[in-house]
Amino acid sequence: MDSAHIRNFCIIAHIDHGKSTLADRILERTGAVAARNMAPQLLDSMELERERGITIKAQAVCLNWEHSGQTYKLNLIDTPGHVDFTYEVSRALAACEGALLVIDASQGIEAQTLANLYLALEHDLTVVPVINKIDLPSADADRVREDLVEIGIDGTEALAVSAKQGIGIDDVLVAIVNRIPPPAGNLDNPLRALIFDSRFDSYKGVLVFVRVVDGRVAVGDRIRFMATEKEFEVIEVGVFRPELAPVDDLSCGEVGYLAAQIKSVQDTRVGDTVTLAQPRAREPLPGYRPAQPMVFSGLYPVESGDYARLREALEKLKLNDAALTFEPETSLALGFGFRAGFLGLLHLEIVQERLEREYGLVLITTAPNVVYQVNLANGQTVRVDNPSMMPPAGEISEILEPVVDVSIITPAEYIGAVMELSQERRGEYHALTYLDPQRAMLTYRLPLGEIMFDFFDQLKSRTHGYASLDYQPAGMEPADLVKMDILLNGEAVDALSAIVHRQRAYPKGKSLVAKLRELIPRQLFEVPIQAAIGSKVIARETVRALRKDVLAKCYGGDITRKRKLLEKQKEGKRRMKSVGNVEIPQEAFMAILRAEDES
Amino acid sequence: MPSEDESPARRALGAHPWREPALEAWGVYIHIPFCPVRCTYCDFPTVLVRDQEVTTTYVNALIGEWWSEDIPPHPPLAVYLGGGTPSLLRPEAVERLLGAIEQRTGSLGAEVTLEANPDTVNGDTLAGFRQAGVTRLSIGVQALQDDLLREMNRGHGVDIVLQTMAAAKQAGFSAISLDAIYGWPGQTGRQWQETVEQMVRLDPDHLSLYQLQLEPGTQVYQKIRRHQLATPDPDETADMADWANQRLTEAGMTRYEISSYARPNCQGRMNQLYWTLNPYVGLGMAAHSFDGRRRWWNARSLPSYLSRVHADRDPVAESEDLGPPALMREYCWLGLRQVSGFTRRRFGRRFGVDPLSVFHHVWEELRRDGLITWDAERIALTARGLDLANRVMGRLVDAPVELVVASKEG
Repeated sequence: MDSAHIRNFCIIAHIDHGKSTLADRILERTGAVAARNMAPQLLDSMELERERGITIKAQAVCLNWEHSGQTYKLNLIDTPGHVDFTYEVSRALAACEGALLVIDASQGIEAQTLANLYLALEHDLTVVPVINKIDLPSADADRVREDLVEIGIDGTEALAVSAKQGIGIDDVLVAIVNRIPPPAGNLDNPLRALIFDSRFDSYKGVLVFVRVVDGRVAVGDRIRFMATEKEFEVIEVGVFRPELAPVDDLSCGEVGYLAAQIKSVQDTRVGDTVTLAQPRAREPLPGYRPAQPMVFSGLYPVESGDYARLREALEKLKLNDAALTFEPETSLALGFGFRAGFLGLLHLEIVQERLEREYGLVLITTAPNVVYQVNLANGQTVRVDNPSMMPPAGEISEILEPVVDVSIITPAEYIGAVMELSQERRGEYHALTYLDPQRAMLTYRLPLGEIMFDFFDQLKSRTHGYASLDYQPAGMEPADLVKMDILLNGEAVDALSAIVHRQRAYPKGKSLVAKLRELIPRQLFEVPIQAAIGSKVIARETVRALRKDVLAKCYGGDITRKRKLLEKQKEGKRRMKSVGNVEIPQEAFMAILRAEDES
Repeated sequence: MPSEDESPARRALGAHPWREPALEAWGVYIHIPFCPVRCTYCDFPTVLVRDQEVTTTYVNALIGEWWSEDIPPHPPLAVYLGGGTPSLLRPEAVERLLGAIEQRTGSLGAEVTLEANPDTVNGDTLAGFRQAGVTRLSIGVQALQDDLLREMNRGHGVDIVLQTMAAAKQAGFSAISLDAIYGWPGQTGRQWQETVEQMVRLDPDHLSLYQLQLEPGTQVYQKIRRHQLATPDPDETADMADWANQRLTEAGMTRYEISSYARPNCQGRMNQLYWTLNPYVGLGMAAHSFDGRRRWWNARSLPSYLSRVHADRDPVAESEDLGPPALMREYCWLGLRQVSGFTRRRFGRRFGVDPLSVFHHVWEELRRDGLITWDAERIALTARGLDLANRVMGRLVDAPVELVVASKEG
């Protein structure tokens, strides 16, 4: 098919504005899926995605649509909606010429609407605004149109639809064909295809998801990855309907996949350019923003024998998750494990849940932390992604922490509450702008470590659910930070160390040891818990020794039941890690996140 | 009834090692699942009933099952009617049941216990039970405060408990055991002390004190989860156990098992059979049996138990074969429930090896933690080990079998 009849587009939206529902309707309308075969949120294929109602992975589907006597090939690339996965969005955008910007007719523009819009403009995409959920009684499409003007978009161009009711879907399809430009690119040039995702398939090896920019790729071609310089022979090319559908070739402008018996995902870096061994393209396509892990956490198997299995599982997850990083790490307390980097907490939770659910691993996850840059007195600079590795205070001249620029859109009445929260979290005020008389956008610079855990929850609760949030990394800034150690039974437990702001170390330490006292079950002996900065103990609590632990006698000779009960109790203990001879439950390693400041 | 017939259980499960010389002593456990009300802490297999017709059908089924069971060739040491509420049975029914046992074995053995709930008996029925061959009563007291009894849904007040105790003595029972529960939500130390004091005054020859176990599915568990009742405080509960232990010792009762106290020579024999891994034949719905190597248990629902027995089918629901490692582990963790522990010689006679050499590392670890102690003769829990028996058992329940030469003290 000539590229004039191809449209590559994605759908971007704030979470819950109806992106997946609109995608479902488009699939239905173009006959990619019969209505009766629709599972809600068809593109969310991962079990976890459907359960949580979020899109984690970019997904693609190729649709045929007849319009004015012409057949068009529409490639829809679905994008994740959570702020953790902005990186995935950026990958999907790079494969498109246009984007549907979906806005909820009653919620209006939200922080992610803006963030996604700016990303799309950064990638030179044509933006088609779509006002969704116009069937709701609270819908106010006109207000949304006015707000769009405020952010530099012609509100009159916005389509009014209800994806749920199937209203206005054809208008959307017409706009895709008429407004979004067909892909540029030259069929006669040597092959250049952009890798925007990859997925491991046990039969075909790594499936490489590509957008062909120049030339053509067919079965039997010898391809070359320009960054890794690896070559493979293509055994299958195809498109997504949404299941894999092999085709003879993919030519410039098209979106699809190729399989080349690639065993290792390291060979197929997302963002790399695929060309042919002969003729070879001279210049790779511009790569895009590589994934930056923002938070780090130690992953340790509770059973030390599971280390190798954990490594294998992480490697497999990495096949589909370019943003996940991990390297081996050893903890005095927890033994052998990995320090893994994630895009955010949701990403961490998802990885942890998949490791446990899909690979049957029982894990201890240490409290997530950000990465610090430490300038030493001797002029050297070290990167610290594990609090226990923080150099001794005497050797440090300065510690820098990552900061983010946060934009928060809130109803005007909650501006005070949002400012208060941001200040509590060491925020630096930047600006306040009104979108309309009722809604304002506040921007702050905040330490990433301060917003990582419960900032969003706090924001939601203090604004009764009305505020929305987005953030962008904004480099590193110096801060007065110290390492706080936690000692159990007089022994420092490295996996419990935390980096805290000096002025808040005392209340934090006090709150943390109190929390740990609640979380650590009584042991055979008394366990003192101490928080210390350097050699100075700043807080102390004690878990008293277990006094009694007995089972009643067995009823009617049912010894089997009693034995099972004992085995079950033992099973419960397997979720704990023995450190020294203190048994610590998983939650204790996360306690720092729940330690409130009482200052 | 044809006693020489191979029972279906026997055919299904293979030969029983009844004739193992170490396993002379055995018992008969009869499960009477009927209750007039359901106690709020109970998750035992029970059936709410007041209708004597069902109980007659059930007793007939028990007798039928008894005649088709394979049993050792000598009389049992003890017979135990547990529940549910065995005292719901009419004395005639108990008489028929015990009659069938005696008819087949020649003797009912040294001890025939019947569990009795105060609200189900009077002087006449108690005399009738005694007449029928019951030698020992186990009376569920649970608490001696009306409000606690109400929360437990016991169906009787303190006055009835006291009357029942008097009536039992009147009927000629000298072997009487009382049960009580501590660690009840909201129960105060004072209430517990009052319960223990009053029980001492009632002068039973045996007492069982149970810490409340919160079993999922029970009312009390639900109420605690919904915060309608307070979670029992572990320290207060521990204080209750310690106080009772001291008081009962002063009163001349000996703690011979984790939760049991007795006057000299008044230990419950049926329970001792369990703790020494001796065999027992279980009759009735959900009853468990053990032949020294294998365990099996009957259908847990009344209709399926009854229909199987009526159809001359084996009421067994499931069974498990315990290999030597499992038997050795159970011997240890059950034996340690006894305050005096168990003897290495008996273990050796049964399994041909010293227990210390079989679980060498676990024993060493437990001794290092101060939970167990041993000498040339016995292995037993320390005082601390008695408090933390669960921890000890938890380590033994999957202890790896080692083939290590016995330590030097052996």
